[in-house]
Amino acid sequence: MLSLFSWALIRLEVTRTLRNKKFMFFSVIYPSVIYLLISSTQNTSDRIPHTDLTFQAFFMVSMASFGALTAVLMGNSERIAKEREKGWVRQLRLTALPSRGYVLAKIASAAVVTLPCIVVVFLVAAAVKHVRVETWQWFALAGVIWAGSLVFAALGVAIGYLAGGDAVRPLTMIIYFGLSVLGGLWMPSATFPQWLQNIAEWLPTHAYASLGQAIEMGGSPHAKDVAILCAYFLIFAGGAAWLYRKDTLKA
Amino acid sequence: MTTTAAEATGAKTTAVRFEQVSKAYGAVRAVDGLTLDLHPGETVALLGPNGAGKSSTLDLLLGLRTADSGTVRVFGTTPQNAVAAGRVGAMLQTGGLMEDVTVKELVGLACALHPRPHPVVEVLSRAGIGRIADRMVNKLSGGQEQRVRFALATAGANDLIVLDEPTTGMDVTARQAFWATMREQADQGRTVLFATHYLEEADAIADRVLVLHKGRLLADGTAAEIKAKAGARRISFELAGPVDEAALRGLPFLAAIDITGNRVRIQSHDADATVHAVYGLGLHPRALEVAGLGLEQAFVAITEAEEARTAC
Repeated sequence: MLSLFSWALIRLEVTRTLRNKKFMFFSVIYPSVIYLLISSTQNTSDRIPHTDLTFQAFFMVSMASFGALTAVLMGNSERIAKEREKGWVRQLRLTALPSRGYVLAKIASAAVVTLPCIVVVFLVAAAVKHVRVETWQWFALAGVIWAGSLVFAALGVAIGYLAGGDAVRPLTMIIYFGLSVLGGLWMPSATFPQWLQNIAEWLPTHAYASLGQAIEMGGSPHAKDVAILCAYFLIFAGGAAWLYRKDTLKA
Repeated sequence: MTTTAAEATGAKTTAVRFEQVSKAYGAVRAVDGLTLDLHPGETVALLGPNGAGKSSTLDLLLGLRTADSGTVRVFGTTPQNAVAAGRVGAMLQTGGLMEDVTVKELVGLACALHPRPHPVVEVLSRAGIGRIADRMVNKLSGGQEQRVRFALATAGANDLIVLDEPTTGMDVTARQAFWATMREQADQGRTVLFATHYLEEADAIADRVLVLHKGRLLADGTAAEIKAKAGARRISFELAGPVDEAALRGLPFLAAIDITGNRVRIQSHDADATVHAVYGLGLHPRALEVAGLGLEQAFVAITEAEEARTAC
């Protein structure tokens, strides 16, 4: 049950994220730029092996996912590490706010950034690369990519608590690139050797990319992927809430 | 049954209870077997040199850290529960502020997060930040930030207010205004506990002064009692005729004596008896002054005596 306390913080966190124009601008533009770069390496009509999906459409979904992941993971972990150092989290722990309220507020403020990210990638893909899917697919894709990004927002909060100061950026980078590449956001994981595919299958990023791909191919997301993402969400969010309570870092 | 009744009364009459509380960071014992009770409505100053364990004590009291041993109770429950129930407001030295929001938004958040909030406008004006309500938090001066922290600590009807060096960065006028509002809080029956470096603040404001040293409680009493505990009063006078140094050094209850020309300065454990003995010597002191030690001197005397004792 989400208390009224948590709503007050969620509202303010969202407001200040929207107010941070530079962060918003780069977070929203970045995935579209990467999409244009990476999709230019393939012809518009080339298809992914064993599917009738074009590379352009594949990259649209994976880069929208990747962009959302970037915004929530990088944005959250660094800002939280900074807030801890400044002592704001200490002050917040002296209020009646439950720890899950804090974690949810951070996830919510991240979600505000990811939606425009996703929409802009779609617009660019449709306008520049002539990607076409059914109307329901556009909405379903935006919905699942948006919802899936919350898992990584929770991971970002947890990382912000695991590492402080100088360590947070390298740690975020390692996790971010590791998960992106191994999860198949950059290259379809079908191109990996079998042993790596076996590992990739259980990564949250793989499940995340699969959600979008299933919809792109006209189906609905696999129950296994949804279950994997839900499990990761609970682990990350629970871990973040636990770390928030345990945190003893002083300014 | 008797125990529960006693516990129930205990919970009612004590705001804060530390029982044999210890906390160590590696080899350093920050808090060492601390036992103390704070009662509702008291204004208590926590004094101690740097590293005496003041901040650690406040952290334990607020539930930001957990004690290695012993128990900390706030209004008869754990610090975490007392905080969650909105009974405790705190202004921390290390408490940062949220950025990219206005003063009003931040104070509004503190009010919204409090189970028994005061109206935002009232909190702002009491903290003296009504005029800067629309300013961004990251654009404030040090003194203004302190007032915002104070507003956060008083956003609701707390029963205990904890302040860690609250007037750091404030000028004299702001400091006076701050203590005036703090006294209002105390007059409403709230318990106020503050750590400070400014001993004159402790002297002027606190009903009770706690002196911490190396994590232990060295002294606990009113400012006057602490001064008395330091054990000395100052006596000074001038002598008209020739000075008989040997006779003066033989005076009873002397702690220290300094004779410069015909001016005599004495620290005495019993000023009345010493002055009486001066007249007994047949001397006629002029410009006689007898004064207590200031809290600052008393504090230095107490902690130095402890240093000397532990060094042996």
